[in-house]
Amino acid sequence: MLTDATLTFVALGAIFAYSFYAVLVAGQLSLGQAGFASLAAFTAASLTPKPSEIGEIPALLLAIVIGMAVGSAAAVVLGLPTMHLRGVFLAIATLAFAEAVRILILNQEWTGGAQGMSVPKVLTPGIAWVVLALVAYWFARMGRSRYGRALEAIREDELAARAMGIDVGRHRLMAFVTAGAVAGLYGVLWAYYVRLIAPEDFGFTAAIDGLVTAVVGGSTMFVGPLLGSGFQTLIPEIQRALGVEAGWIRPFVASALLLVIILFLPGGLASLVRRRVRLPKKHSPTGERALRTRVHPGRGEVVASLEGLSKEYGGVHAVEKVDLELRSGEVVGLIGPNGAGKTTLVNMISGLLHPTSGHATVLGTKVGRVPVHRVAQAGVSRTFQHSKLFNRLSALENVLVGGHLVSRPTFLRRLLWLPSARRDELAALDHAARCLERVGLTDLASSRASSLSYGDQRRLEIARALASDPSLLILDEPAAGMNHVEANRLSDLIGSLAADGLTILLIEHNVGMVLSTCDRIVVLNFGKVIASGTPDEVAANPTVIEAYLGSAEAESRPTDRTEGSHA
Amino acid sequence: MRTKLFSVAVAATATLALAACGGGNGDGGGGGQTGAAGGLKGQGSGESCTISQAVPVGAALSLTGAAGSYGTSQQKGLELAAEQLNAKGGVKYDVKIEDDQTDPRQGITVFEGFVNGGKSIIIGPTLSNTAFQAQPVAQEGKTPVLAISNTAKGITAQGDYIFRDSLTEAQVIPQTVKKAKEKFSLAKVVVMYSNDDAFTKSGFEVFDAALKTEGVQVLETITFSKADTDFRALLTQAKGQSPDAIVVSGLIEAAIPLVTQARELGITVPIIGGNGFNNPKLMADAGEAAEGVVVGAAWNSASANELNAGFIKDFQTKFNAAPDQFAAQAHAGLTLIDHAVRSGCSAERDAIRDGLSKISNVPTVLGDVSINADRDAEHPAVVQVVEGGKFTVLQ
Repeated sequence: MLTDATLTFVALGAIFAYSFYAVLVAGQLSLGQAGFASLAAFTAASLTPKPSEIGEIPALLLAIVIGMAVGSAAAVVLGLPTMHLRGVFLAIATLAFAEAVRILILNQEWTGGAQGMSVPKVLTPGIAWVVLALVAYWFARMGRSRYGRALEAIREDELAARAMGIDVGRHRLMAFVTAGAVAGLYGVLWAYYVRLIAPEDFGFTAAIDGLVTAVVGGSTMFVGPLLGSGFQTLIPEIQRALGVEAGWIRPFVASALLLVIILFLPGGLASLVRRRVRLPKKHSPTGERALRTRVHPGRGEVVASLEGLSKEYGGVHAVEKVDLELRSGEVVGLIGPNGAGKTTLVNMISGLLHPTSGHATVLGTKVGRVPVHRVAQAGVSRTFQHSKLFNRLSALENVLVGGHLVSRPTFLRRLLWLPSARRDELAALDHAARCLERVGLTDLASSRASSLSYGDQRRLEIARALASDPSLLILDEPAAGMNHVEANRLSDLIGSLAADGLTILLIEHNVGMVLSTCDRIVVLNFGKVIASGTPDEVAANPTVIEAYLGSAEAESRPTDRTEGSHA
Repeated sequence: MRTKLFSVAVAATATLALAACGGGNGDGGGGGQTGAAGGLKGQGSGESCTISQAVPVGAALSLTGAAGSYGTSQQKGLELAAEQLNAKGGVKYDVKIEDDQTDPRQGITVFEGFVNGGKSIIIGPTLSNTAFQAQPVAQEGKTPVLAISNTAKGITAQGDYIFRDSLTEAQVIPQTVKKAKEKFSLAKVVVMYSNDDAFTKSGFEVFDAALKTEGVQVLETITFSKADTDFRALLTQAKGQSPDAIVVSGLIEAAIPLVTQARELGITVPIIGGNGFNNPKLMADAGEAAEGVVVGAAWNSASANELNAGFIKDFQTKFNAAPDQFAAQAHAGLTLIDHAVRSGCSAERDAIRDGLSKISNVPTVLGDVSINADRDAEHPAVVQVVEGGKFTVLQ
């Protein structure tokens, strides 16, 4: 059953599946890989001199280089205009590309059209498995690098990834180019094994086959494509060995098994393999040295200044001409009734929303003009009103992604096993562990983010935001869903952060907490600032009492969250 | 989680163990037939030849996938032939039919399995492209191959163990063009073909060359896709040229709507089809519209030849359907193999190869078949025309 051909096709299938894995890991659904493989196979086979002239291995290596270059180049050309597409739209666009390539190759003289092109057979099972090992190694080392975590973060929650300072566009394009290169590699290996390549070999069926292999194997762990290919290739062989009669019954059984796997193992075969979460040893000696340090503004310096900042939605002023200045070391509370425009305001400050008019300078960046990740790079970090955690990652990994901006890129050095990469990863791990410890989640470090309680999720978000060593920390309703004990602990945490010199902008409905924690409070109503001053001044302000605090008893009442709360 | 991991490990080990067993049955790989050689040599010769062991024959057919309809037809032809030959006695055939799923990966794997599994000869595969990919495996393993449906150029040039009983387009189409020209005094035609299929594209190339040779002017060449079903626009375009005939190289799936729509549009000139049109479905599905379609074929279903008439009758009885050319060529294939085996009274691979290369005027359902020096078959082709819902020989 495990003949040369079967072994080779397991390896080839896995390599092709890796080209899907390369983008699925970043949450992109692309079917263009068949097109990349096709272009690479035909170009490499026609440009490479015959193996009889330059030797088999040199010919294959040269073809691989050409194929991977063609595959990556095609990925750049396709990626630049399509990288802003998501989900099924990207799938359709890339499928259209693959189909266009098929038609093109079908109608070219030099490719032999439908009758295909003859290619000498050079590939042996041994070479195929060596190449597969290299590809698998690449993705295995990528997994626990800063780059690999960034891709996973993008897959889990793109907006949160941006807010953590990840340049999503660049990362997505890089993942796409990797897919192109690996697909090109597959195309060349295929060509140098099957002796005759035809456009049909890289048609719609092939694209779906690759995608199914990657998904059935699992797209969150590097062993997935290998398991998927083993499954897909060996099922017909096992049926043959068991004497199942040739004909419709075999594809039927194979499809039924596929259905069972997808139903009962939505994470693919790889979800049977336990995902190991590394935990750092308590307070390892490497310390902060390996982390990038950020220069924070001196105490009292202006961190953010907003002038006449407005946001309008079809004539409705969500935020209207807000002037505000935040100084380093301040804890500023932002309060107001639901719909007052608080979240809209902080979304503008953190770069998520572009103001309709007015100016805002935050840590030297003109927000509204620069992408979110640049604002984050400048030192703004935030939590979200509704938790935006990376759900399928562990608590620790969430915080590691939070440390994206202060840790060093490690992927390429990890490929070479350089000790410095290990040091940097340990330092990042150590830093993340300390952030978790600070919010009291050390014991839950290895739990999946989605499995945490609501209150723990809020705290995890704070830890993640802290991990980027921000100059300005924006907390959007951090105490929502917490009980009094938890809220008090949170209040203490905010106090200790402020004592460290962090500037904090706090949106909160728990007025008691705001009054006790903040140096200064700004009150918004209908998008306008109606009051600003020390907690005592605000609490005594009659306009504020009328608009928001209402009766005296409301002072300690937590917000009624059922009213709908979006700003 | 831990138990899950354990069960995966157990399953993986079981799979590998199973794999090892499978490999062991296959004669231990490259050794080929040696283990079984003793039983494959027989006593006597020709009709009196007796071989104790059943001759292991492997057939790699596309039973599922895009070419599934051809493969199942071939399967029936082989099954009928094996049944008849085994009933005859002396030499028995153990025909193992495997599905290549119209997938090159499966084609190569199945061929490798047959070569390592000690098959005396391999029949197939269904499609020419798969043949180019899989046949070298047999050539390297010194196992003879008999192609029963491949019509592309260069199939048998892949090696001296590769034979075929299917006529190439170059053997059929020029006759069709010549005959049609005589019959309909063709001067100018429009050519249509699907350019995304290896078979129909090479068919077009031969048509094109044959039309040139015969001095028939090609007014226009129109391409379509094998997946197309609406040809009205293309046919209107063709009609505008007022051709004496429309020449089509397409698969049966395209032939049926194309012929029907042509007649709907009032195109009354003859339609001349390639090998793909040679299918009883044409009359079954296109009905009246199929009348007057001219088809060159390797198999004359209307032949009064006794063997052929018997074949059609037996096939109809066994499968309750009329055979097509794929079934006929498959049936003839096993007949030729039987002849080759009996001629040396040995089912060893080299003996079969020698036997096949010496085939001369062996009667089959295709007529009397000879194998030429290029290991290609030679037998009379036939130009048919649909008349009264049946293929009849174009006189």
